Amino acid sequence: MATQEEDYLGITDYKVIGTRPIRHDGVDKVTGRAKYGADIDLAGMLHGKVLRSPHAHARIKSIDISKAEAHPGVRSVITVKDLPLQEDQIKDLGEGAANLMDLRCNVLAEGKVLYHGHAVVAVAATDANVAEEALDLIDVEYEVLSPVLTVHDATAEGAPLLFENQTTKSLGEDTGKKSNVTTHFQHKLGDVEAGFEKADIVVEREFDTATVHQGYIEPQNATALWNADGQVTVWCSTQGAFTVREQTAQLLDLPVSQVKVVPMEIGGGFGGKIRVYLEPLAAVLSKKTGRPVKMVMSRTEVLQATGPTAGSYIKCKMGVTNEGKIVAAQATLMYESGGFPGNWAAPGSMCIFSPYNIADVQIDGYEVLVNKPQTMAYRAPGATNAAFASETVIDEICEALGADPFEFRLQNTSKEGTRRADGPTFPRIGNEECLQLARETDHYKSKLEGKARGRGVASGFWFNAGLKSSASASVNADGKISLVEGSTDIGGSRAALAMQLAETLGLKSEDIKPQVADTDSVGETDVTGGSRTTFATGWAVHKVGLDIKAQMIERAAKLWEVAAEEVSYVDGVLTNSADASKQMTFAELAGKLGETGGPVMGRATVQPPGVGGAFSTVIVDVEVDTETGKVEILRASIIQDVGKAIHPSYVEGQMQGGVAQGIGWALNEEYVYREDGTLANGSLLDYRMPTCLDLPMIETHIVEVPNPGHPYGVRGVGEVPIVPPPAAVANAIYDAIGVRLFDLPMSPGRVLEALLKKD
Amino acid sequence: MNAFEYVNPSNLQDVPQLLSQKRDRKSVVMAGGIDLLGELKDNLITPDRLVNIKALDLRYIRHSKEGVRMGATTTLSDLVSDEEIVKTYTALAEAAESVASLQIRNVGTIGGNLCQRPRCWYFRGEEFHCLKKGGHKCFAVDGENKYHAVMGGGPCHIVHPSDTAPALIALHATIKIHGPNGERTVPAADFFLLPMENLYQETVVHSNEVVTEIFIPKPKAGTKSTYLKFKEKGSMDFALAAAAVALRVEGGVCKDVQVVLGGVAPKPWQADASALVGQVVTEERVVAFANTVLKDAAPLRDNAFKVTLSKTMIKRGVLALV
Amino acid sequence: MAKKVHVTTTINGEEREFLCEPRQTLLEVLRDDLDLTGTKEGCSNGNCGACSVLLGGKVVDSCLVMAVETEGQDIETIEGVASPEGLHPLQQKFLEHAALQCGICTPGFIVAAKALLEKEPNPSEERIRLYLAGNLCRCTGYDKIVRAVQDAAAVMSKA
Repeated sequence: MATQEEDYLGITDYKVIGTRPIRHDGVDKVTGRAKYGADIDLAGMLHGKVLRSPHAHARIKSIDISKAEAHPGVRSVITVKDLPLQEDQIKDLGEGAANLMDLRCNVLAEGKVLYHGHAVVAVAATDANVAEEALDLIDVEYEVLSPVLTVHDATAEGAPLLFENQTTKSLGEDTGKKSNVTTHFQHKLGDVEAGFEKADIVVEREFDTATVHQGYIEPQNATALWNADGQVTVWCSTQGAFTVREQTAQLLDLPVSQVKVVPMEIGGGFGGKIRVYLEPLAAVLSKKTGRPVKMVMSRTEVLQATGPTAGSYIKCKMGVTNEGKIVAAQATLMYESGGFPGNWAAPGSMCIFSPYNIADVQIDGYEVLVNKPQTMAYRAPGATNAAFASETVIDEICEALGADPFEFRLQNTSKEGTRRADGPTFPRIGNEECLQLARETDHYKSKLEGKARGRGVASGFWFNAGLKSSASASVNADGKISLVEGSTDIGGSRAALAMQLAETLGLKSEDIKPQVADTDSVGETDVTGGSRTTFATGWAVHKVGLDIKAQMIERAAKLWEVAAEEVSYVDGVLTNSADASKQMTFAELAGKLGETGGPVMGRATVQPPGVGGAFSTVIVDVEVDTETGKVEILRASIIQDVGKAIHPSYVEGQMQGGVAQGIGWALNEEYVYREDGTLANGSLLDYRMPTCLDLPMIETHIVEVPNPGHPYGVRGVGEVPIVPPPAAVANAIYDAIGVRLFDLPMSPGRVLEALLKKD
Repeated sequence: MNAFEYVNPSNLQDVPQLLSQKRDRKSVVMAGGIDLLGELKDNLITPDRLVNIKALDLRYIRHSKEGVRMGATTTLSDLVSDEEIVKTYTALAEAAESVASLQIRNVGTIGGNLCQRPRCWYFRGEEFHCLKKGGHKCFAVDGENKYHAVMGGGPCHIVHPSDTAPALIALHATIKIHGPNGERTVPAADFFLLPMENLYQETVVHSNEVVTEIFIPKPKAGTKSTYLKFKEKGSMDFALAAAAVALRVEGGVCKDVQVVLGGVAPKPWQADASALVGQVVTEERVVAFANTVLKDAAPLRDNAFKVTLSKTMIKRGVLALV
Repeated sequence: MAKKVHVTTTINGEEREFLCEPRQTLLEVLRDDLDLTGTKEGCSNGNCGACSVLLGGKVVDSCLVMAVETEGQDIETIEGVASPEGLHPLQQKFLEHAALQCGICTPGFIVAAKALLEKEPNPSEERIRLYLAGNLCRCTGYDKIVRAVQDAAAVMSKA
């Protein structure tokens, strides 16, 4: 029986894991049959729309909904008064936490609007066009206030405060100082001042990164039915049905069992579909109308009023000896929280120097309120901003030392036993292995020739999450398994879970029928986020497999009238160890369950502690058009430690997708706010995400340093790939044209201006 | 979107009457509808009636020795796949192909591309009652103006978003407009208006008129043309700067040249290229020419880089045809 | 509410009639009135291609086409791509190459790629990217999508 430290089974000859079967939900997805949240259609359904604030910062003086209510097609109009009051308490969402008072106010504004697009009134009508017409009939009177839009604005002397009574909590204590800075925390290792004394070379730089959005192609949606029996059902596209249930029940002041969340297929999330926006509104509108209410956001609403990730200001200072040893590192991370307090500098601080073994470190993190939508997680939240800073500084240091970027990183690499600045010590990790492999890639070894072409390298870390998962499964009479789990499938996780269960039972991937179930049909399961699904829900299905295996052994023993210890189970075949002629396949035994005691079901609930952190390294070649500032990505490679690639195609897909988003973040994506705080680019025309013409093929190199905390060695793979690319691109641009950029995005205008300044 | 009436005339003579504006019935032309639907969805306009002109048989490309006639509802894809246009009126084919995406080019028309409204995010923003919409202020002046004009701006600073327009001007196109008093023909070069001339319209087309046909005279033998468009993103992007160039070189000497800029001014910007005529085209001369074209540029806070971009487009456009 | 217009079209080879307001886009009618929810809405203004359908054999953004204007026309949606014999090679190759993760952009890509391969049976990587430049994917980085289209083209040219 594996112990905590030796959960990893050490299998070397996997039968299913590492293969590339067709995903179980694939046919539905390529034929248009798969049902996403906006595809739902219920009898008697009404359509809801939201009236949003045109101002970035304003007091709500009055709301007159009477004309809208009088519109013949309108069935209900609600404001925050229709949502029960909440206490000032924090709820864990599974990736990030929410203050319930803030959550309520974000869903419908109370007293004040805090960002352009902040929801103020919701309407249910006979169809979507009528609902839109109704919005025009609502009169809201505002007293417009000055907005603050960056951490610099928000922390300036005399800056307008979003919350009059907000004070800064610093190092755990309330300072009593009124400010838009809600939190200041600090991590220390050793003595950073003393560390810098030992340095021969010190580089200190400041960085500004713009707000960016996860950019999922499917807008948020929710349909709710508040039934006559008081049961509320919500159909939505979400990364976590259980967190939606929790948040919605809280906001409606209902016990969780009264709310059922049915997760529809989800068209991308990346962290942005964890917090609720529409679900409570649809539910209340349904209660008031007695009919199901469907709400779907427009793209503009998605950009204005969901949860983009934090823009930031970062100061990063690192010191090295002439021999190339990093002796000190210090960072200040000031992250925008948006209109309500957030917490993304913290994960940033857990990652910023983590690829390196440094004895003296200090990281100060600040969360700053600004008049922008409340920030939310975006794929390794906080870490990408931080790596942009630290990996750029490292690039400068390598240049000053004349060191190869991989030699330098290997010399200073973190490994098992290295202490992170935020406290934990690394268990077995694969940073070193990634660096070693990266150095040997064809990409890195190839010569890059040509004018204004350059190569950049950067590394990144993400700690990944564990959290809770549940699963159950039934054995069918034909030997196939119906697996029920609660992890919504954003990227092919159903397949990876089915494969793990198949491996455990010695069956084939096609023998498992995985199903993502609603909150009444499966045990509590935390979000599909934090790169936890293949790891934690994988643990759950593995344990389900062990449970089924044990029961099948007992049934065989019963059939053969021997003791269970005399039944061996290998590769899905049960054999009587005393008499080898007594043998059955899993399927054969499955057909006999009725005679041996009835159906067999397996169950498991887990909260696995052995999470494996992940490292990745990205190499990028660019060509800069020095007469236009356009940066073309010529070649991109990612080397990542995944622990064990359950389904390599989908692991590669996560790596490539993260790199693509990172490149968009690096080169073109940004929220542009006008001086009055309104969002200028609330459409996909002006929020520029990469098209297939903006990216080359993306080369992937999978490193497998098994995570000792998972039976198959799994480490989360989804998030870390987005962490290095912006720094890798910036370093490549420097290599190409001798100009360093310290602000994201590095759009053509900025590159051109930097070039002109250089000359 | 507000509700509207949709009418489908099959007789061009009926159109001006259908388009006549009443206080309680505003009418607009619908060609491909690409820009129009966007305007409707953004609540930029709330017409009572859409007059579809696709039943008027205006989708055609007719080549003759005089030149080419293209009906106003010819799609951008039609232009791209016409061999003769690609060969002889290359700038137009390249301009059409640079528009948005294939999906949009399959529906968007040349008439619509010329008559589309600006993309300025204040103009398109419901909350901003800007000059062009009858308000008192151009918000771009001291606002977010990265995408706005560096020349010809004032008091409004939009750039004209059309890609085909600079190409048509460079190729000496003329545009036929049908109105209540019959037809009139306007050179493409005179089709567009600066804000100084008219704040509320970008073209000379009145609200009860419709573009019916564009004619390009056959270029003199030996003329080559091209359209270079700079975009921040690989596709689905308007020009940050663009240059349409038509050049005829004989024995190494430039005989005719037209350079028209897009993305930098409220209308396509026709450069005075006379300095290049009669000279051998060298890189040095072209660079000097480009500098002259942009010498009076008046960039705003965020768009000075467009000056460099435009010079690059001019240089590369001209040299590509030599 | 404005008076509805009666429209007759052919959708995926079958004659379909519907009533719609002039302000309804083809996308809305397909999804809300005809139960053809395979075509997706990503941005509503022609910037993502998730709503791609074939209209008269040409790929268009159905969010920018008015339903009333499809009178008498041939429409093909994702629901019509597979045949009674099975999946289209594009669909099969998307699955084999893992060219989808969340799958929301997949119908649009398959419809657009189908139109491409009907026109150009042997496109280069460059041509594929040019043709599909009107379709956004946020999950895959496009690599596996391009490979799937290349592989489908290879299979179809052998058939």
